[in-house]
Amino acid sequence: MPSDLDFLSPTSVDEAIALKAVPGTAWLLGGTDLLPQMRAGRKAPGRLVDLKRIPGLHEIREVADGGLSIGAAVPLADVEVHPDVLDRFPLLAECAKTVGAWPLRQRATLAGNLCNASPAADTAVALLALEAEVEVASTVGRRTIPIREFFLGPGLSALEPGELVTAVVLPGASAGFRGSYLRLSRRKGMDLATVGVLVGKSNGTLPARWRVALAAVAPTPLRLRAVEELLEAKGAAAASEAAEAARLACRPITDLRGSAEYRREMVGVLVRRGALSLG
Amino acid sequence: MIASGRIGTDVPRVDGLEKVTGAAQYTADLKFPRLLHVAVVRSPHPHARVLDVRTEKALRMPGVRAVVSGRDFPLHTGIYLKDQTVFATDRVRFVGDPVAAVAAETPEAALEAAALVAVDYEPLPPIFDVEEGIADGAPLVHPDLGSYEVVPWIRPKSGTNVCNHLKIRKGDYASALAGSWRVFENVFRVPQVQHVPMEPHVSVARVDLAGKVEVHTSAQSPFTVRHLLAACFGLSHGDVRVHVPYVGGGFGGKAGINLEPIAVALAMRCRGRWVRFMVDRHEEFYATVVRQGLTATLVTGVDRSGKVQAQKMHYLWNCGAYGGYGVNIVRSAGYTCGGAYEFPNVEGDSIGVYTNRPVGSAYRGFGMQEIHWALEQQMDKVALEIGMDPVEFRLLNALGAGKATVTGQVLDEHAGRVDLCIRSVADEIGMDPGRQKTPYRGKGIACAVKAPAMPNDAASSVVMKFAEDATLEILIAGIDYGQGLMTVVAQFAAEALDIPVEMVRVRGCPDTDLSPYDWQTVASRQTWATGNAVLRGAEEIRRKLCDTAGEALGVPASELILRGGAVVHEATGRSLPLARLVMGYQFPDGHAIGGPVASATSYLPEGLLFLDPETSQSAKPVAKWTFGAQAVEISVDPETGQVTVERIAACYDVGRVVNPGLIRGQTYGGIVQGLGTGMMEELLVDTKTGRAMNASLMDYKIPSTEDVPAEMVVDFVETPQKDGPMGARGIGEHTMIPTPAAIANALYDACGIRISEMPITAEKVWRALKEKERAASEAGVAPAVPASVTA
Repeated sequence: MPSDLDFLSPTSVDEAIALKAVPGTAWLLGGTDLLPQMRAGRKAPGRLVDLKRIPGLHEIREVADGGLSIGAAVPLADVEVHPDVLDRFPLLAECAKTVGAWPLRQRATLAGNLCNASPAADTAVALLALEAEVEVASTVGRRTIPIREFFLGPGLSALEPGELVTAVVLPGASAGFRGSYLRLSRRKGMDLATVGVLVGKSNGTLPARWRVALAAVAPTPLRLRAVEELLEAKGAAAASEAAEAARLACRPITDLRGSAEYRREMVGVLVRRGALSLG
Repeated sequence: MIASGRIGTDVPRVDGLEKVTGAAQYTADLKFPRLLHVAVVRSPHPHARVLDVRTEKALRMPGVRAVVSGRDFPLHTGIYLKDQTVFATDRVRFVGDPVAAVAAETPEAALEAAALVAVDYEPLPPIFDVEEGIADGAPLVHPDLGSYEVVPWIRPKSGTNVCNHLKIRKGDYASALAGSWRVFENVFRVPQVQHVPMEPHVSVARVDLAGKVEVHTSAQSPFTVRHLLAACFGLSHGDVRVHVPYVGGGFGGKAGINLEPIAVALAMRCRGRWVRFMVDRHEEFYATVVRQGLTATLVTGVDRSGKVQAQKMHYLWNCGAYGGYGVNIVRSAGYTCGGAYEFPNVEGDSIGVYTNRPVGSAYRGFGMQEIHWALEQQMDKVALEIGMDPVEFRLLNALGAGKATVTGQVLDEHAGRVDLCIRSVADEIGMDPGRQKTPYRGKGIACAVKAPAMPNDAASSVVMKFAEDATLEILIAGIDYGQGLMTVVAQFAAEALDIPVEMVRVRGCPDTDLSPYDWQTVASRQTWATGNAVLRGAEEIRRKLCDTAGEALGVPASELILRGGAVVHEATGRSLPLARLVMGYQFPDGHAIGGPVASATSYLPEGLLFLDPETSQSAKPVAKWTFGAQAVEISVDPETGQVTVERIAACYDVGRVVNPGLIRGQTYGGIVQGLGTGMMEELLVDTKTGRAMNASLMDYKIPSTEDVPAEMVVDFVETPQKDGPMGARGIGEHTMIPTPAAIANALYDACGIRISEMPITAEKVWRALKEKERAASEAGVAPAVPASVTA
């Protein structure tokens, strides 16, 4: 890792965007993905633009439709204990608290976890389930990317070069989902998921709405709308059927953490367990 | 007369405050003026001939002060077998083998220059498995093996990949096997694992303008580092000085010699400058040292009573590219091949095999966890196959007073009681044979034994001296890298002299110029060996104090005792505080007697005998044995294969508990490390490229706090060790030996499957359960427990 990096700390989004125009510039939030990648020689930016001094990016605030906007620089540790998150979007807290360890989550951010676009990103499954929207800004203006369009492949997202994620918005319509993030890993804490399965169910709506999203079993985090529809039609009684559908829908690979075969089977097991627990 | 009160009590760590405040300095904390940084050029090939190394470009780079390679330093090193050069000369033997090194003004310049060193290789066929390694016509990792210097009790086989072979021949195995009621044969495997010390290896060296070599290093053995550096570079021991500051974990990986020769080689080319070689976590994994792999084939023949009559143990060790240290693990596993059991007729072979994997070396347990993984599962299987309770089967076959080990050593009543340890943990976990079984919950037990594996003349010594206020300073060269040696030394001295522990300062960061000799901090030998030297020193101190006090008080020295920081004459009630004696006693008229009180004492194990070269029979091959057992209760998630260790009990016969808090900590740590190697650790090598595939903390997992069992119950038996300090014997390594085998046995108890290759991962358990279900359905038998249970 070179020691003669340029390090800049803009205090506004516009300034940050302007600085990114120089080739070889990388955004820096918590750095928990970027710095290890730099140390390993997989990324070699010549300068870092730190976004943590930009005041607006630190807020978790309510938006007009009753949803929540989570600024790009908000660390996961703040997300997982935020009263509004816990009250209305508990699935996100469930997922956020499985990322690394508590000290690491003081640095790691929700936006950073998204932009790294890991197929195993734990928070991505919650955002997929909650139909989050990713607000981005660039020299050409601002736009919103629906989360279902965000992940393109391992390490690949729909962000254009120079686009900065400013916030992740959880829509008010997604409030009230309950459920659990079931996750297998090689040890019980501080490990990447071998398989992650989020199963959620709306609270109080009739008919109930369901959400099923998977981590680490496809080139991107997956949301399985067909499985959700099955559960919406038949309820938790269809847990086994839903499990089988999810098992067939995932596209896992074999790597150091587990074989494709094991992962596929575990998707089935965990989807069934998640659905039954909400029955 | 020894007072009491400081042994067997929770004396707080004497180094605790320094460590929790950050005052303790570790090698990488030390500041050196104009420090040079090191980068190493490492082999990308698992096996290749080195045709040419060109360093000119690297040398011309700005900031580069030295570039060295194999042609500059062709000397061999190795603690028992000198099979390694500082840098590869004609051949590289694993991915990571050092070929050249650079010292430069900045770490970046060193790295850049290392990339400019051009090496021409001619790749050779690599071998990764022991079976390939011992096959006829296998490529030779060390074609010159026959020419290497080696200690007389290690036996490499020239013209093969075998770096050591120890044979045990006891009784008449063949006849006993033929006469056995039933015979069982099984194969078990253990992969290479890494130590993962919190502090990676680091060494800083300087050669001053007069030629004296000085090294600060994170090591377990300053004197062995000095000894091997002197041999490697052809120096007088008197011109090599080794300092060891606090060490952040070693687990055997910092035993012997490691980074030091590379740092010294570079320092020789930039006289007067300090050169620091510090590996990062990635290099720590694949390029320092690892635990050896093992393939164990066991054959057991039992009679109708359940007594083992014939036992064959064939251990093939995957030593990796160099075996300088590992050859002694092969030997140790040989003379301990029967574990905690009495086997009357034995054929044992422990064979070390070179491969093109990372370098095998010492690792906590020194081969014992590996062989117990095999042996303790074998004992369990045999017991269950013949319809005996595994606990009773162990007790029936256990070693004890009057019984002979595999080397024919007959144990006496001081040797320690494995039977009591077995009963303790079996009771704690509730292993009675009639117990109620719950599906997917299981209980398992495993025994452990280990002796110190060291040369017969491995010695420890200490210097004790007083400051003016009667503070007792004890100089040691054993390293306290967490196990609590400094505290235990203070306790022994305070107890023997009846002074407060607070009056003792243990100088535990040795400097070979000033500290007394200690062979190595390995083999669970420090409490025992250093402790003995301390007690001898205390006796000498006591005698000197009493001599002076007797003269001062006008009473016979023999009537004086040490009590409460004073020398006391009980008959008259007269006494003198130590502060009036330690620098000499001055009479009222001004004349003085005595003088600064000090001692220098040592301990060397007595009466150890070499093993017979053909049969390894020996009446006293080792100084002592420490026995123990662990039992566990686990639960298994049958759908995911995940195993949870719910409770674990451990019991060891340690002779004497010196410090309950420290020994409990040692045991908890061993259990967790045992759980790590047993359930998640394996250094994977890609057999196409020879590269380590998981050489990072992201890909190689050790237990986190969440993996620690909810309940660990620790118990000790105290059968005093005859030659142990106040009866104590070693325990440091033993705590992790039986854990994986106990879990494996519990897994069988829980759901009828066996994992013969460590580690027991969830996916392996899941596969084995599926296989069992498939086999059962093919056989038309419904599984005993439903394979699918809703959680």
